[in-house]
Amino acid sequence: MAQDLAAHASSRQSVIAQNIANADTPGYKARDMATFADSFRETTHIRASSHPVRAGHIALGAGNASGDIFDSAAFGSESPNGNTVSLEDQLVRAADVKHQHDLALGIYAKSINILRAGMGRIR
Amino acid sequence: MGDLLNTMASSVSGMSAQAARLRLASENIANADTPGYRRKLVPFEQIVNGAGAVRTGDVHLDTTSLERVYEPSHPMAGDDGYFESSNVNLMIEVADAREAQRSYEANLRMFDQARQMTSSLLELLRR
Repeated sequence: MAQDLAAHASSRQSVIAQNIANADTPGYKARDMATFADSFRETTHIRASSHPVRAGHIALGAGNASGDIFDSAAFGSESPNGNTVSLEDQLVRAADVKHQHDLALGIYAKSINILRAGMGRIR
Repeated sequence: MGDLLNTMASSVSGMSAQAARLRLASENIANADTPGYRRKLVPFEQIVNGAGAVRTGDVHLDTTSLERVYEPSHPMAGDDGYFESSNVNLMIEVADAREAQRSYEANLRMFDQARQMTSSLLELLRR
């Protein structure tokens, strides 16, 4: 799950970087990816209906690393040349993604430490 | 990891496009007093299958009419005492340069963030 979270964060960041690179391209529409929570819920829902396991049981690795990409423009951000990228909006999203990635790597590091402790090498 | 490298590539293309725009703005400012100079413009366009990267298109000249200045002592002045100066408006060029700088910074920040994410990912291997 942490792996999916990190993968989702990096692919969403790639979409945001494309938006920022094209912040001055005429006619470019800002895009974004569904949040991890949304895409995760969607895939677990599908899995739960096709493989009915115990209720409340989340299958491991059920997250969707790359959610759907859709047009997303902040309200009133369209400029006269048809570009809908708002730099502030994109930077806020980028900060969100960075936080998500840090969280995933923190969980990773923690589980590695726990494995180490299990092997008797506590650092 | 591949996505992070794509992020860096997009940011780099954005930075080089903004740098080209800044260079043209400075060329225009340098030639603001050159008689007959037309300001240069560059369009931005998305590279279609280049993972959302951006590039600058062909440079073209601004076709608005040149400013006519009355100065009979000027060597290029005609019989009526007017000569054609450049069509560079310093206000527009300075504003354009400032906008290019802001966009460049935003791209640079995205690049730096991708770099931080990559290095924290590699940090896991070093444990």
